[in-house]
Amino acid sequence: MASEQQLSAIKGAKVLMVGAGGIGCELLKTLALSGFKDVHIIDMDTIEVSNLNRQFLFRQSHVGQSKAKVARDAVLKFRPNISITPYHANVKDPEFNVDFFKQFNVVLNGLDNLDARRHVNRLCLAAGVPLVESGTTGFLGQVTVHIKGRTECYECQPKPAPKTYPVCTITSTPSKFVHCIVWAKDLLFAKLFGDKNQDNDLNVRASDASSSSQQSEDVFERKNEEDIEHYGRRIFDHVFGYNIELALSNEDTWKNRNRPRPIYSKDVIPVEPVSQNGNQAKNLVAGNPSSISAMASLGLKNPQDLWSLKENSAIFLEALKLFFSKREKEIGNLTFDKDDQLAVEFVTAAANIRASSFGIPLHSLFEAKGIAGNIVHAVATTNAIIAGLIVIEAIKVLQNDIKNYRMTYCLEHPSRKMLLMPVEPFEPNKSCYVCSETPLTLEINTHGSKLKDLVDKIVKAKLGMNLPLIMHGSSLLYEVGDDLEEDEVANYAANLEKVLSELPSPVIGGTILTVEDLQQELKCSINVKHREEFDEEKEPDGMVLSGWTQPLAVEKNGKGSTDNGASTSRVSETTSLVMEDDDELQIIPAQIAKKRKLSDISSAASSDASSFRNEAKFKRKAEEADNNNDVVMLDGGSSENSKKKREQ
Amino acid sequence: MAEPKTKYDRQLRIWGEQGQTALEKSSICLLNCGPTGSETLKNLVLGGVGSITVVDGSKVELGDLGNNFMVDESSVGQSKAKTVCAFLQELNDAVKAKFIEEYPEALIESNPSFFAQFTLVVATQLVEDKMMKLDKICRDANVMLIFARSYGLTGFVRISVKEHAVIESKPDHFLDDLRLNNPWPELKRFAETFDLDTADPIVHKHTPYVIILIKLAEEWARNHGGVLPSTREEKKEFKDLIKAKMIASDEENYKEAMEASFKVFAAQGISPSLQQIINDSCAEVNSLSSDFWVLVAALKEFIANEGGGEAPLEGSIPDMTSSTELYVNLQKKRSTKAEADFLVMEQRVRKILKKIGRDPDSISKATIKTFCRNARKLKVCRYSLMEDEYNSPVQLELQKYLTDEDYSTAVGFYILLRAVDRFAANYNSFPGQFDGEMDEEISRLKTTAVSLLADLGCNGSNLTEDLINEMCRYGAAELHAVAAIIGGIASQEVIKLITRQFVPMSGTFIFSGIDHKSQLLLF
Repeated sequence: MASEQQLSAIKGAKVLMVGAGGIGCELLKTLALSGFKDVHIIDMDTIEVSNLNRQFLFRQSHVGQSKAKVARDAVLKFRPNISITPYHANVKDPEFNVDFFKQFNVVLNGLDNLDARRHVNRLCLAAGVPLVESGTTGFLGQVTVHIKGRTECYECQPKPAPKTYPVCTITSTPSKFVHCIVWAKDLLFAKLFGDKNQDNDLNVRASDASSSSQQSEDVFERKNEEDIEHYGRRIFDHVFGYNIELALSNEDTWKNRNRPRPIYSKDVIPVEPVSQNGNQAKNLVAGNPSSISAMASLGLKNPQDLWSLKENSAIFLEALKLFFSKREKEIGNLTFDKDDQLAVEFVTAAANIRASSFGIPLHSLFEAKGIAGNIVHAVATTNAIIAGLIVIEAIKVLQNDIKNYRMTYCLEHPSRKMLLMPVEPFEPNKSCYVCSETPLTLEINTHGSKLKDLVDKIVKAKLGMNLPLIMHGSSLLYEVGDDLEEDEVANYAANLEKVLSELPSPVIGGTILTVEDLQQELKCSINVKHREEFDEEKEPDGMVLSGWTQPLAVEKNGKGSTDNGASTSRVSETTSLVMEDDDELQIIPAQIAKKRKLSDISSAASSDASSFRNEAKFKRKAEEADNNNDVVMLDGGSSENSKKKREQ
Repeated sequence: MAEPKTKYDRQLRIWGEQGQTALEKSSICLLNCGPTGSETLKNLVLGGVGSITVVDGSKVELGDLGNNFMVDESSVGQSKAKTVCAFLQELNDAVKAKFIEEYPEALIESNPSFFAQFTLVVATQLVEDKMMKLDKICRDANVMLIFARSYGLTGFVRISVKEHAVIESKPDHFLDDLRLNNPWPELKRFAETFDLDTADPIVHKHTPYVIILIKLAEEWARNHGGVLPSTREEKKEFKDLIKAKMIASDEENYKEAMEASFKVFAAQGISPSLQQIINDSCAEVNSLSSDFWVLVAALKEFIANEGGGEAPLEGSIPDMTSSTELYVNLQKKRSTKAEADFLVMEQRVRKILKKIGRDPDSISKATIKTFCRNARKLKVCRYSLMEDEYNSPVQLELQKYLTDEDYSTAVGFYILLRAVDRFAANYNSFPGQFDGEMDEEISRLKTTAVSLLADLGCNGSNLTEDLINEMCRYGAAELHAVAAIIGGIASQEVIKLITRQFVPMSGTFIFSGIDHKSQLLLF
């Protein structure tokens, strides 16, 4: 029933799909059955067991193989007459440059992280290719269209950064389970099994006064021929015993806090483990590294059970032992992966032991894994709906049917009798640093911060640049790339360690820096403002970038505090929520009304009547809350995301 | 670790082990396995339902390859049910998959008792009179039923179940059960141990906002004849009162108190929707009552007696700025009260069970506990029979939808989806299905739709020509993208029904691929 024009647009289209996961599998199938003939897919991931509940192109036997390639083969088996080109690669790889993107008529995202989404957004803007962006979490999902100059780009609205915690909360004064997880994952796990050279805030010194020679020694180093059991217990006693004693000696800290309890391994598990031989035998049977599990060797089965302190301690020691005996080669290169069973076991146990110390309730492996891996709920149903919507939207884009473009939100509970909520796309945000050339402002201590801090915390973390170049006037301060001369590399490496005001071309208050990513073809300027002091709790980066995102205050209000008078009314969450992991990302529709209201109200008046119609609908229901101009009340607003995040 | 648990990890985080167990125990029957049906079932097989039975009498034709992923060239000429079933089985070997090569329409006529064996029937692409017949069969057999149909760029999903009670409704947003303006005695006494005017800045800074609000609400009521703030001015004044208690600008707990101050003004007692449930005639239980209504009967007694107008306490509290010690203490107070409420509820449930002649232990402790935790959020959904909706819809509602611009596309498609069935009954094909004179088809469809509306007592002038043309253009095609969406929505509703979590949608869901405005129509 499709029109001739539609058919030829589809047949002639060259489509790039980024991501072959939950949405990707559905999308590839729906594209194939909608008449698309030339599809390219990029995905760097390999197939995991936990994908199989929704990524229906994959089977148990495919675990470990490239998603892009298996997806291609699976679809070709059923529809041999189309061309599918897979790339088992990272979309941020330099081969996928602007020229690569230019060959496509439309780009369809089915990604799982903010970083890659931003990167693709920039390449699409630079190449002038339309982007259809999507995401799901649980029963929620969304599809949005981004076309340079016509609609807002993916980054026109701020995306909240992942939650960060002050270092001292993690290292000394945890009060929630998540603090223990962060400690176990980012400090302890990284220290034991990750890159030995990276900075780590764990105390590694055993300042035993009696042997001063040990002063300089890192207790995490396993001594030559040290028995693995002995080593495990030594680490245990150091991090859960000695380090807690050390912290306790600082009386001031505990004035108004519960004092933690040091835990030593011998008090929990008497030396001379009972079943060591049995364990060993069992482990030898397991040949496949992915099946190595401390739970299995200790006979613990249900990941939803809550383990006692003793069980956690046993898991801790056993997991550590297994890492050193079965996966020794990986040590030094491991990073925490939520699908690595042994890593999850170790982190769960370590976090629970620490939680016991601090009187924080313990959690099951299942729960701990959710927190540690930032795991997002995922189910086949939502992905199917979203993939269908992406294809319908992509066909409109190919026909240049601008007036019918929609951003569509899929809700968990119908809101105002709508389960799918369409909204006409917004115009580009004139103050967006990505698609408009708006300068940013950076407050930083130019006499204290190094160029390295600026690169890591701002250019990479906040601006999402992959291969950045930093210039002050005409002098180059920093650059990355394969084609640099040796002396340049040495020069930039030296610059990284220098304090800003001591750079060859000093960066001080009033300096304007140009930051550029040649791959993304994105350039922006940063006005530097000097500031001496930063609040460690609220500004843990030690620097503040503004102009790129709404001030934090907006997010604060999102806690859902509205004077709504009646308990049945719903309160809109004002934050746009970004979920990492599987097919994440969510901006809730309620937020649109809010965002529009706050920032775009004047420009909305000038947009055409039809695009304003949806707006009016939202607004009709939106009322100013009593006494609080920042909060909007919507009777259909949803806020489950924040709720779920907390539940995790 | 290729256990099912790992495979289902991401969805267990949505509906938990109980939900998963319910899915694994369910048996689903699919009628017609075109793209809409097979996509619906695919999502359910991936999720791990217990068994599926695919019913379809047709053979795979070349045309099916254009919209159904589960058939390929090698299967042309074979049973479609068999082919689709084999594909689905491959997706998840934990699911028992079988097929019956027979036309559902024939089965509905010849063997109505066939359907009684299933937990739920998914009926796709059926025409109106067959839907009504099947509806009655399933209603009598107490089998859950969901209809789904894709038609060009439109389609619908409609649940039909006599009554569906949900304990774990998991609403988007719900006010925490804090009892700020109605603290129970232990909480009140605990709050009294705090002094908001304490001179110690550390203590001041770590007093949980819940305590601040309880104390200030009490103070306010004392000074205002026992009444809490209600007007805009009073609410503002109350907030100012909180602000005035701050001794430093960085006191997060006071900021939280101000943000949460509206919770103090919330009405005491139970919500109107809960009131409606406990007033339902089903709450007068007898030996035939379901567990749910026995629990509601106990709840009703609880609210009238021990609860003092309130439901059992939920027991959990949100995050807040506080010292760990105080937070844990507060949590303990709540869990003690919640446990006490649960014990009272349990006694009442046992007593009622005995009274109606059932085994007093036939409802588990765990069920009662879950019920107590969710007592404020109970939902009861009831669905009218298709026959009642189709033959005597609420005329007023229909007319209202027809004249409301927001609903015009959805209700237009609703009428046209029914009109095409009448059309097909008269002309033996759907409008635009075969190469014919398009103009004639359009005018025939228009006449059919207008007479349908007239039968329902409504004026047909609100149906736009554009929509009628569009419908004819569709020619009854089942587009894969639309089938994926309709199938996705249908399977999602099936999951809600089977897990008894979340609230399934009420009314008829109409999808519009034109403007994506996809609405629920309630008749």
